[in-house]
Amino acid sequence: MKLLGIVGSNADVSYNRFLLQYIQKEYASLFDLEIIEIKDIPMFNQSDDLTDSVMIQNLNRKILQADGVIIATPEHNHTVPAGLKSVLEWLSFKIHPLQDKPVMIVGCSFYDQGTSRAQLHLRQILDAPGVGAITMPGNEFLLGKVKEAFDDLGNLKDEKTRAFLSETLQKFVRFIGVASQLKVPEKLPEEDLHATGKIATTIADVDMHADDWVEQASAKVTPVKGDTYVELDRGILTVDQINGLLKSIPLEITFVDSNNQFLYYNHTADSEKMFAHRKPGQVGNPIGDCHPARAYAHVQAVIAALRSGQTDRVQMPVPTHGPDKYVVHNYAAMHDEDGHYAGVNEYILDIKPIVDFYLKKTGQQLTGGKVDAVSGASQKAAAPQVDAVSGASKKEAAPAPVAPAMPKVDGVSGASKKD
Amino acid sequence: MKKLIAIVGTNSDQSTNRQLLQCMQKHFANDAEIELAEIKDFPMFNKPVDKTLPECIQKLAAKIDAADGVIISTPEYDHAVPAALINALNWLSYGIYPFVDKPVMITGASYGVLGSSRAQAQLRQMLDAPELRARIMPSSEFLLANSLTAFDADNRLLDRESVKKLDGLFADFMIFIDITAQLNHAHNQNKKEAKEFSWDKL
Repeated sequence: MKLLGIVGSNADVSYNRFLLQYIQKEYASLFDLEIIEIKDIPMFNQSDDLTDSVMIQNLNRKILQADGVIIATPEHNHTVPAGLKSVLEWLSFKIHPLQDKPVMIVGCSFYDQGTSRAQLHLRQILDAPGVGAITMPGNEFLLGKVKEAFDDLGNLKDEKTRAFLSETLQKFVRFIGVASQLKVPEKLPEEDLHATGKIATTIADVDMHADDWVEQASAKVTPVKGDTYVELDRGILTVDQINGLLKSIPLEITFVDSNNQFLYYNHTADSEKMFAHRKPGQVGNPIGDCHPARAYAHVQAVIAALRSGQTDRVQMPVPTHGPDKYVVHNYAAMHDEDGHYAGVNEYILDIKPIVDFYLKKTGQQLTGGKVDAVSGASQKAAAPQVDAVSGASKKEAAPAPVAPAMPKVDGVSGASKKD
Repeated sequence: MKKLIAIVGTNSDQSTNRQLLQCMQKHFANDAEIELAEIKDFPMFNKPVDKTLPECIQKLAAKIDAADGVIISTPEYDHAVPAALINALNWLSYGIYPFVDKPVMITGASYGVLGSSRAQAQLRQMLDAPELRARIMPSSEFLLANSLTAFDADNRLLDRESVKKLDGLFADFMIFIDITAQLNHAHNQNKKEAKEFSWDKL
């Protein structure tokens, strides 16, 4: 389970940050808590919309991908601090990542009240339309006199406080399970699978459907080739070296840009020898060309989820390669330096040799169940239960938000297989 | 004539709360001198350890200190006071105490029908905090609903009932300021407590 902890203070020294760090460390077996700071996020101003800034987009994505959020709030002037309120205003103006998100509130203060009033206001704020979080009722964790609350190692001293926190967090984990059932799957915008749009890098006036798109496009933009140097993060390679490097990676790599145009694959084998049968003539095609119409809904779902930030990776086993293989299609969202969606890196591999290698080297074995002959993996060893017919993992290993949003993928057609 | 500072509770360029205060400034010109104060350029409050206050904060604090009373007009964002206004109040109670025992009238305007009711309730609670401890005029909500269509071209309130209500509340506020001046027995103690309120020690 993946949780996000928001430090509600922008002060350099904050006991609310300590508290989240303590929770992160102490409850690592219960959930994975990522702590996020809000101190560099500017003041909300509806006349100066910064929703598209890197900081706010990153926060948006992290919240969308988390199963739940813990907010640690200080109290200033009997309410939440301006910095935290400002962040919540950004997150309810043009974007609404907290909508239907399970949230738990904690807070600590120097004095006895332990942020009681700020927490009540925060509940009211989280309940506002536009924010729309599902805040766990009751279970107020108010840590008063916080300067005396932690020992030198950053641990909570008082046993009763620890027991209460533990109980509260366990309830929150259960609450997330219950609350997730309230969430109506978000309808994501339609994807332009025929790449009728144009982005800054689109090579114009070349027929995307042409078999010789690469040659035609090359004539238009005269790309660097051969032994010309290219500076990368981090290093300098020639085009030949980049090419060699990409081909030597033991994955079938495909790049589709944010305009849904298929621009590259590492061409290491003939079409029929590949897991996904790419053909040189397909490069340049709109992604809609590479799939049968009946698979469009699935392609749409995957790309929309990646573009929206709902998830950064979609994984699908495609069980059509026989029992001796376990081929997984991975779709990873790419982002530019400003955090904007930049396309999909699809990488395909057979993970069976990796599992075999691991078992051989560690002397371990898969136990406790019949091996599913179709998918080729023991159901119990590979945590997610693989549905051999649909080919999509119903219970994705880690984050819940990925799975519910995904329609079942048709394993027979494959997500990116050409008819 | 009484001198009032009217704080525009938002940093937005377009604000019907600013419009409401401008309307009051003109409408009550014979009763009080109302000066509008903006908070939109205030930096984000971050509890600076050295307690140095930005110049814009010090200026507004001095104006509040010198004024007979303060009007705050708040929008409502997410059922609460906008961050920009919370921010201003955070600064205005950090090592300085211009609000202690200062008469305050709260108004608010909203596009919808609720007229910032929840933000006003929260603002009252904030102004009651020991480090602010303002004298908020009791039982005196002025909620301006549907604020986008509430004014005429000369920035006058169209609705007669609203004008009557605002006239009444403002007259009361003038008296409230005088009464508050007599509620001075605890003033020194309040000032002292506000000063002793330490963001570190409490």
